[in-house]
Amino acid sequence: MSDLSGSSAAARATDVLLRAMGGRKVMLRMPTPAVPADVTEQLGIATPTFQDLPLAPVVYRKARATLAADVAAKCELLVSVTAVEAIVGSLAFASASVLFAAAYGVLCGNELLEIVATSEEQAFGRPYVYRLLLRVPLTQVV
Amino acid sequence: MQNAKDTFYVMLQGRLAALNPSRTIVVRGVVRPGTLVDENELPTGSIPVDVFRMEWTGLQINSGASLPLVTMECSIAYCTDGSSGDGGMDRGRLLAGMDAELASALGAEPHTVQKMNYSAAGTGVAPIAMGTNVFCADPTSGAVTSVDGRLARTSTVQVFAYQEVGEL
Repeated sequence: MSDLSGSSAAARATDVLLRAMGGRKVMLRMPTPAVPADVTEQLGIATPTFQDLPLAPVVYRKARATLAADVAAKCELLVSVTAVEAIVGSLAFASASVLFAAAYGVLCGNELLEIVATSEEQAFGRPYVYRLLLRVPLTQVV
Repeated sequence: MQNAKDTFYVMLQGRLAALNPSRTIVVRGVVRPGTLVDENELPTGSIPVDVFRMEWTGLQINSGASLPLVTMECSIAYCTDGSSGDGGMDRGRLLAGMDAELASALGAEPHTVQKMNYSAAGTGVAPIAMGTNVFCADPTSGAVTSVDGRLARTSTVQVFAYQEVGEL
């Protein structure tokens, strides 16, 4: 089995596992590109619009978020690489890391979670799943 | 106050961009001069390197005169990891370069600029000139901090402006 087909098989197998574990759909909230040389955006007067892009299948790695007093709760999301690659390709991002860096957050139901960190797991030199560390908004911290 | 903050930012960004046009940052797919105001950008946990990040931290209003004098403190933070091609060994030189750029931009004459109202400005629409000026003092540089090889410094500068009638 070549490396390419091996990595594709790993990605497909991961998709199957994510769906089997109750894979759900979340939305990746992306701001629209900035307007070149528009000083009002730099001054916070004009604000970007957002578009929500579906990510599926995804699964929470931990059923419960990590909790601590006065600290925003964090949770980890496993994301299908095929879903990410489809968005990276259609929106012409250089890589998945650039896509996640540009994203404003992940919309899970009615809750917008901030992306704190991202990482990927690889097989045969290609990623087969992405891990997103998410943080709930500080407004929900009690 | 907001007009003074906007005016000072635009002035400082212009001066820094003139000193080093190659210092840029990509924000939402667009290349901009490497100066930004944190409170005007989308919140993010990542800290951009090799750019100047402004924060408005202090505020004092002296309302004894007919026009209240507003004194604001602007913190300008910047950091660098050095060049990856040089293994980060040039990070001290890069930070010194940013020190020099900021000192030169804030030390350049004049120390005043006419206050502008950008609230109605946009593409093809110029900001409105106001009746008073915005002044700035010489900056005060903080100590260098080094965390995991990243050198960072924060300089503060006081910005003064008169609060005009009807101005927010």
